[in-house]
Amino acid sequence: MIICRDLHKTYEGGKTGWPALRGLTFSIDRGEFVAVTGPSGCGKSTLLNILGLLDEPSCGSYALDGLDAARMSDNERSAARLHRIGFVFQAFHLLNRLSALENVCLPLMYAGEGKEDMRRRAHDLLARVGLKGKERKTPLELSGGERQRVAIARALANSPRLLLADEPTGNLDSSSSREVMDILLGLAGEGMTVVMVTHDRELAARAGRNIRMRDGEIESPSGRGRPGPQDGEK
Amino acid sequence: MTRALYNAARTGLSEILAHKTRSTLSFLAIAAGSVVFIDAFSAIVATYARLESQKQVSGMARMKISQNHSQTWSNPDDYVAPPVITYDDVLRLRERVPGLFMVSPEADSWRNVMEYDGHRVVARVAGVTPEWRKRDFVYDLKGRFLDWHDVDQKLRVCVLIRPAPPEPANAFFKSMRKKYDFMGGYDMLVTHNDLLGRTVKLDGINFTVIGVLDELPPSRKPPRIWWSGSDYKVLAPVTTLMHYNILRSHDSLDVAIDAGDEKGFDEAMRLVRNFLKVRYGDEDFFVVENQMDAIKESMARNISSSLVTISLGMLAFIAGGIGIMNVTLATVFARTKEIGVRRAIGASRGDIMLQFIVEAVMLGLIGGLLGTALGWFWGVPAKVMLGMTPSPIKVWMPLVSVFIAALTAFVFAIYPAWVAAGLKPAEALRAE
Repeated sequence: MIICRDLHKTYEGGKTGWPALRGLTFSIDRGEFVAVTGPSGCGKSTLLNILGLLDEPSCGSYALDGLDAARMSDNERSAARLHRIGFVFQAFHLLNRLSALENVCLPLMYAGEGKEDMRRRAHDLLARVGLKGKERKTPLELSGGERQRVAIARALANSPRLLLADEPTGNLDSSSSREVMDILLGLAGEGMTVVMVTHDRELAARAGRNIRMRDGEIESPSGRGRPGPQDGEK
Repeated sequence: MTRALYNAARTGLSEILAHKTRSTLSFLAIAAGSVVFIDAFSAIVATYARLESQKQVSGMARMKISQNHSQTWSNPDDYVAPPVITYDDVLRLRERVPGLFMVSPEADSWRNVMEYDGHRVVARVAGVTPEWRKRDFVYDLKGRFLDWHDVDQKLRVCVLIRPAPPEPANAFFKSMRKKYDFMGGYDMLVTHNDLLGRTVKLDGINFTVIGVLDELPPSRKPPRIWWSGSDYKVLAPVTTLMHYNILRSHDSLDVAIDAGDEKGFDEAMRLVRNFLKVRYGDEDFFVVENQMDAIKESMARNISSSLVTISLGMLAFIAGGIGIMNVTLATVFARTKEIGVRRAIGASRGDIMLQFIVEAVMLGLIGGLLGTALGWFWGVPAKVMLGMTPSPIKVWMPLVSVFIAALTAFVFAIYPAWVAAGLKPAEALRAE
């Protein structure tokens, strides 16, 4: 599903720039639940942005479903984000002006769904994350856990095969964290590939595999994943 | 696409409503542009409408012969008094240039005394023939007009011109008129007395009033650009007035001519000049004025002043456009994170551009509609209240003005929308 080779990302600034990623090589199979852990500033979010096609690596290659990200046009990247990738952010990133239902409808709208299909699908998704009856509420009227569940429903709108979660429980209390984690585990159980960035070792332990990062490099691969063809770090 | 437009419009509307002050300020400038545009457009339309009605009333093939007085100011030793055009000359012209639609001799005396029932008033008396009514006849006639019998027999008959009653809407001018008595004694006399069939004295000589011409009220009166003789108060056969010395017989007549149609005009002009040359030895004794030239000149003046107004409207639109660009840019920066979120969940650059452009165009549309409403209010009810002539506002004017407003907004939104679409998703998401 995901194959990264020698990924580098250097942010501009200073004389030589600031390296966020320094040569990551790994792969993730379909249906895996991978937790990326590591201290702040080690490049976890940068990696997630690259995996989510929100950012481009400075060098190295990244292939998603066999498609080389470097060769994608901006529109192809948008389309891939729309149909293949779902995002869940620590800060939820919901549009407060819109209701929970409308937030979930957004990706469906960009995908050109009809009004009725869009609403039906959004209702189903909200019910699935346990928010039945709260469709009309705006994010400001919902608790943190509920907001994150709306964000998950939004991420699932176009049935992506890859879910990228950036500290999805970072702003939540422990019971909400558990609920969100249960949903993510459920999705992985249904065959979805989930890549989750987290600080929380407990949550990371529930993932199928951990990628520990430090200073832009992979410190140690662990977990139940099979070793990759070229990289021993899986 | 329709769905995307609809959603962009919805988002735009909610943004506009969420920032009422900012939105209002940005579409006010556009509205100002619309007001000026509508005013300028209606001024141009009014100019053409006036020309159209002039064509109807005055004819488009008009010329006028009068004595050339420019020599009066030259060296006194060289001065040759221009010859006088007499009634006989006019009859001869008629004979020599037979195709003319109208050959109307006119002569007037600036100050005559009209007496009736002990009232003595000053009236401007003009000598004319029945041809006079062929053009520029904007009156309601009571009784009859002068006929050839009156002229040939030099009968002492006259037609009085009665001023139109003041416009009812014009309360202000009405009170001014009452206060300062703008109406002269003649106007008062003919307004308050029905003189049809009565006898009046003109410079001491009895004349029978055979007709009364009621001037049309200003609202129904077709406008005239050039000469018109509209200040005449009393019309009588030119022959009679000459005979009784009310007009001095050595006064030259002016001759108003209508060639009939525009096609025959140049030929008629040539024939008339030729006639003058043959009869008086030198056509330069006379001036042959061409009404078309006067109309064209007046049109050009009107149009160029409208163009000035239109360019002011353009400037207002540009200012409004810059306002919209500014607001849209501000919106882009205020909503950078939202742009990042939308990009992250799959919106393409085109989707983002569309959203900001639609939003700006909506501002433009609202501004255009507001401006149209204000333009109409200024053009019709406000002008009527101020006693001005209401502007003719056609259906296409609001449409064009709203279209230009929306187009301006569209053009000026392209840059901010492009900036928005060009934001890198990852960086936009990090924005605070």
